[in-house]
Amino acid sequence: MTGAANCKAIPQDFMTSNDLKSLLNRRLLFVIGKGGVGKTAITESISRSLPGRVLWVSIEDPTRPPQDMKQLGANLWSLNASAGPSFAEYAELKIGARLLLHFFLQNRLVQYLATAAPGIRELVLLGKIWFERQNYDHVVIDMPSTGHGVAMFRSTRNFGNLFGSGPVHSDTEAMNSVFRDPAQTGIVIVSLPEEMPLQESLELKDLLSDLFPKNEAALICNRRLPELREPPASSQSRDAKTVGAASAEGATSPESAESALSPFALDSADYLWRKSRLEKENLARLWDSRGLRYASLPFVAPEVGREHTHLVETLAARLQALREETAS
Amino acid sequence: MKRKILIHCGTGGVGKTTVSAARGLLSALRGDRAVVVTLDPAKRLATSLGLEGLGDHPTDLTPHLKVALQKLRSQGFDVPETVPGSLHALMPDTRRTFEQLVVDLGFSAEGAEKLIKNPIFEIFAREFSGTNEYMAVQRLHRLNRDPQFDRIILDTPPSRNTLDFLNAPKLLTRFYEEKALQWLLAPSSRLAAFGMHKALDALEKLTGGGFMTHLVGFVASLFEVQENFSKNLREVTALLEGSSTGFIMVASPAPEHVLEVSHFAEGITRRGYHFDGLILNRSLAHLGPLTGIPADPAWDEARRILEGLQAREKRGLEALVHGAGIPDPILLPELARDVHSVEDLVHVAMALDRSPLGH
Repeated sequence: MTGAANCKAIPQDFMTSNDLKSLLNRRLLFVIGKGGVGKTAITESISRSLPGRVLWVSIEDPTRPPQDMKQLGANLWSLNASAGPSFAEYAELKIGARLLLHFFLQNRLVQYLATAAPGIRELVLLGKIWFERQNYDHVVIDMPSTGHGVAMFRSTRNFGNLFGSGPVHSDTEAMNSVFRDPAQTGIVIVSLPEEMPLQESLELKDLLSDLFPKNEAALICNRRLPELREPPASSQSRDAKTVGAASAEGATSPESAESALSPFALDSADYLWRKSRLEKENLARLWDSRGLRYASLPFVAPEVGREHTHLVETLAARLQALREETAS
Repeated sequence: MKRKILIHCGTGGVGKTTVSAARGLLSALRGDRAVVVTLDPAKRLATSLGLEGLGDHPTDLTPHLKVALQKLRSQGFDVPETVPGSLHALMPDTRRTFEQLVVDLGFSAEGAEKLIKNPIFEIFAREFSGTNEYMAVQRLHRLNRDPQFDRIILDTPPSRNTLDFLNAPKLLTRFYEEKALQWLLAPSSRLAAFGMHKALDALEKLTGGGFMTHLVGFVASLFEVQENFSKNLREVTALLEGSSTGFIMVASPAPEHVLEVSHFAEGITRRGYHFDGLILNRSLAHLGPLTGIPADPAWDEARRILEGLQAREKRGLEALVHGAGIPDPILLPELARDVHSVEDLVHVAMALDRSPLGH
């Protein structure tokens, strides 16, 4: 089974390959979204599908040592960005390796602020990413889930305002000007075709557009089921009245007929059929109705033993294909 | 023993809110005067429960529940006829809870104003990663004293680390224990004062003027109410540690959750809290073999997806029960669509009821 075979089953794409190309060409690419939507796999897939020197950044991954840097391929590196070391690096950059730096970093108040003061961790993490961008063609960042991710971006604004002058102020300003520039930075919101993630993505998009009005975030709908034809068995096993109402198109809303059914599926075929239909309804109601453009990624069937590798390979192939498609 | 308070923890996207709501509904059907404290439910769930636009005040859902039972019986479903208990729900307003807390802590009107106007407080209230968690616990604390309820079901905010919820009060306690902050107000020794002076010089160089003034003001404000704050923290901690409070983890039955689940169960127990079991939501184990489908590539792919997910679930379950040693998890079947009515929630509650730990 190849990635291409999966792609054929994917419903219409609303994002053109030009949109995607423009997005993937930017030096900084932030991948953000609700927990469990597949951000990490997508970040890795993007990192592996990009040309040039690429840095794939995870934020404070507890399974890796802080600030751990690994080379994964000829042109691919992976960094576990961590607040503590980033803070020390920043201080050294600004204060210089002098006695004062020692006093500063050893001071318990400073240590306390560096770990506990709200916003400082977020700020230094973004600062580290911002600084590293000079050394690579692409930096792809696996952001913390929604709320914490937005808090990270907001920290630059908060601190920019709080510190009226001085190096922190000018650095946060400089960071902000890079993040809000669509020529340099892209933001990708990853979502799933379910009600809550789709809804949350809209809210996230609004929050981000408040922060970066001229740098619109792109949307990816991950884990889409193939579009299915109705199985003959499913109508037989249902209440005739309900099915009649559901198939009378336009006359009754399919939703009201649905709601008379148990929310649990009768069997496997019923489950897949209802799930794929629900997916389309959710997307139509929440995203399509707003005229949003987005890219879809397939639900990759888990392959026992090599789930992760298979998933990343398939998604990377799909992204590659989208990049290379000529706009029609 | 029966707990008065049940706290549902888990990462986002596992249906924690639905499970909590169903749990509250089941309690009401068994005669409890239950209240569900839910944070940020899906819009449709909130709408269908009549919770939309509702804030901090408990809303009585018992009449809705009665109507839903009637409707389900008329459709031929086997559900209870009456509601011996009652069901309320509320969505805490973090800002309001915070303001209430400021009053409870005994700030003077002037002191409260000074605190709220401090730009550091502004960031703190909004961005401190424990604020939502801490405010949910505060709301719980107040509900616990409300004689109207004898069962409280709490749906915790989604967080990266499921134990964040318990760490929030501890983080604040640390604030007061931090000697460095006390030195900031009045250095206790000359040496400390010298080091502090040097460090602050460097800090001021980085941050520009003004920051230190705000910081000192903020810390001074919090130390002004230290006694009341500490008392509040002790009460809240006692409430969470007490035998009337149980913690339930909601996860999905996938191998990648095994580590998180065992980490949670172990962390809860080690800290002296009560771990009351695991709910594995979105299970596909109940679906039989896939038959009677059209022969086409899309359905073939759908079959591969379903079978792959079921195989993964099986491995996840084995790892949880045998590997992590968590016996008798509750398996809740995955829904074929979103919950959008009280009737749907009754279906989920009934599924919860059929499982061994559903008491």
